[in-house]
Amino acid sequence: MRTLLKNGRILDPSQELDAIGSVLLEDDQIVEVGEIADDTDLDEVYDCTGLWIAPGLVDPHVHLREPGAPHRETIATGTQAAAAGGYTTICCMPNTDPPLDNPALVDFILDRSASPDAGGVFVAPVGALTKGMAGVQLSDLYAMKRAGIVAASDEAYPIQSSLMMTQAMEFCLQLDLPIMAHCEDTTLTAGGSMNEGAMSAMLGLKGIPRSAEEIAVMRNCLLALHTGCQLHVMRVSSWGAVEMIRQAKFLGAPVTCEICPMHFTFTDESVGEFDTTFKTLPPLRTQIDIDLLLQAINDGTIDCIASDHSPHASHEADVPFEEAPFGTPQIESSVAATLTYLTHKGVLSPLETIRKLSTTPAQILRLDAGTLKPGETPVAQVCVIDPDVEWAFDRHRTFTKAKNSPFHGVNMKGKPLLTFCGSEIYRDALFNGSRYSMPR
Amino acid sequence: MSRNLLGIRHLKNEEIDELLGLAADFKSRILGEKPVPKMQNTVLGMLFFENSTRTRVSFEQAAHYLGMKSVNFASGASSMSKGETLKDTILTLRYERLNGLIIRHRLSGAPALAARHFGGPVLNAGDGQHEHPTQALGDALTIIERKGSLSGLRVAIVGDVEHSRVARSNAWLLSKLGAEVRLVGPRTLVPQQMAMLPGKVFYDLPLGIEDADVIISLRLQKERMLEGVLSSIGEYSAMYQVNRESLAYASPDCLVMHPGPINRGVELDDMAADTGNSVITAQIENGIFVRMAALYWTFATDAQIETEQGEN
Repeated sequence: MRTLLKNGRILDPSQELDAIGSVLLEDDQIVEVGEIADDTDLDEVYDCTGLWIAPGLVDPHVHLREPGAPHRETIATGTQAAAAGGYTTICCMPNTDPPLDNPALVDFILDRSASPDAGGVFVAPVGALTKGMAGVQLSDLYAMKRAGIVAASDEAYPIQSSLMMTQAMEFCLQLDLPIMAHCEDTTLTAGGSMNEGAMSAMLGLKGIPRSAEEIAVMRNCLLALHTGCQLHVMRVSSWGAVEMIRQAKFLGAPVTCEICPMHFTFTDESVGEFDTTFKTLPPLRTQIDIDLLLQAINDGTIDCIASDHSPHASHEADVPFEEAPFGTPQIESSVAATLTYLTHKGVLSPLETIRKLSTTPAQILRLDAGTLKPGETPVAQVCVIDPDVEWAFDRHRTFTKAKNSPFHGVNMKGKPLLTFCGSEIYRDALFNGSRYSMPR
Repeated sequence: MSRNLLGIRHLKNEEIDELLGLAADFKSRILGEKPVPKMQNTVLGMLFFENSTRTRVSFEQAAHYLGMKSVNFASGASSMSKGETLKDTILTLRYERLNGLIIRHRLSGAPALAARHFGGPVLNAGDGQHEHPTQALGDALTIIERKGSLSGLRVAIVGDVEHSRVARSNAWLLSKLGAEVRLVGPRTLVPQQMAMLPGKVFYDLPLGIEDADVIISLRLQKERMLEGVLSSIGEYSAMYQVNRESLAYASPDCLVMHPGPINRGVELDDMAADTGNSVITAQIENGIFVRMAALYWTFATDAQIETEQGEN
């Protein structure tokens, strides 16, 4: 089986490649990139003229909700949504019920994600750093690493004790396991539901101060500096937090960070009259934050883009603001939001866009992904993007079970149209049928 | 078209004038034992998810004067205690054919959620720390009756501004009506972001109430001590109590107001609460008339209101 993705703009940051060319697949492998020596004897041809051909995208931060909350999402629906979002490798978070804190659950996730009804993407589990994410006792990280976790995190239940975090870092350093940290000083955020500022004051909602994020980022960066453990700061939202990370990197701390599209797209004013689709953690900040976050995305202080896909059932979100859960479905809008609000605004070049959506997250978490180099990934992982197609996001036309997307009705420019992970796992309705042919 | 009364922040000045005009009209009719419009086929749901005596009684009185029937909904005895969501409760009441809802809830924004699902007038009787529009309207009516207008008046709102929906609604309303609003209290109860409300922030009581024409004292909840927000009741009283001594800084005919219930000896002393220019009891009575106005205004069409006011 020979498949040709023909005549697209090849963007592969792993080879610093930005050129018009083609990608040839043989069975489930990439065999040639660029000028194809022998383009005869083809089974399938996808005409990619005017489209980008990129390594399959990598999402370091996804909630699949299984086990425990299949009414929000299952591994099957979440991975289908990921494929539609252009992703071929995703990291799933451990805050399931029960939490992902033992090797048996790692096996369960890997089994489910490989089942025929799943979306066909690779799922790289992130294990709980402490048992039950209770912050008291380390999980069986060695056994979980052997079972396949790629990082450890207590996600939305961040370790408050600095001693415990130090020990966790020492242990993870020994296991060569990155720690992904949601950074929040929970003594400052208890009862809060949105950014502390003008909007929270007007709406009478308890605020979440930026200092809660910044204190935790600073502490974790310092501990990473002193222990040498690899730290990945999840979903930065405040400019102060990014400044802490900039300083930590300057000092040589092994620190990286991610941003979610929500945080460079919307501000706390989007909450309007208690709109729970804009309730997220850390909370949406202000325009000043966005301006400085865009700078940090541009200069590389912010390493990569994560969706923080956090599905919830509609009935869970249609409640008074303070009772609504944090987080919304993101994985089918994150690439379009990145293209619309970063690439087309000149914050990122096309090659840097793909770097932040694919190559860098793969490098941070040492995943076999994020490259088009033949033989570098277990199977071909390719994403074809139309950077210019204009469309409006419709929450009803999604694979995720969660429908409370903040991007509903938002006009987007750019969309992933094809996803290959070994074989074609997603083809968008906007991919014109005349672009596809079967010469044989 | 019916409308909601969810807060003051989004009201236009014409709407505020309409509401206050209606309230003054209803007051003169009730006190003069003249007839008021009757809305006899209207059934109101009184949803008090949080305890309330005065607001609830006041709304019931207002409904009674307008010939409306009110149905009490006790959240403890209802299906809410069986795990029903607020949305489903509201939908149930909608299809029980209630015509309007009056909601008091401990969470900010709950009435806005109810309004999205109800499809008839929803009146906010106090939600979390967000708004308490009818309290503010009653306060404005009380001030206007005594001072003629709010334009140019110095109004100091003193105490726990952060946790007060009364403070928020009054800050919006009184500033829209032209008053110079001051928010006065300790830094822990008037945090930085409160500067985003219309009003100038003062941390010092004498400065904040200097030459004030009106002081609205707010209730201090004693739990605030346990949260480490304040040192002690004694220190709070020493710094922020409205009493004979501190009133000397205000204008001599300064009105003293309080939304109740009062912690006597904490935010107000007996002298300030009971004598001279205290208008606390007038606030309570005016509460009925502004709630009549609010009910009439939310149910009636604009045309009806114009005719009604034209009859004056």
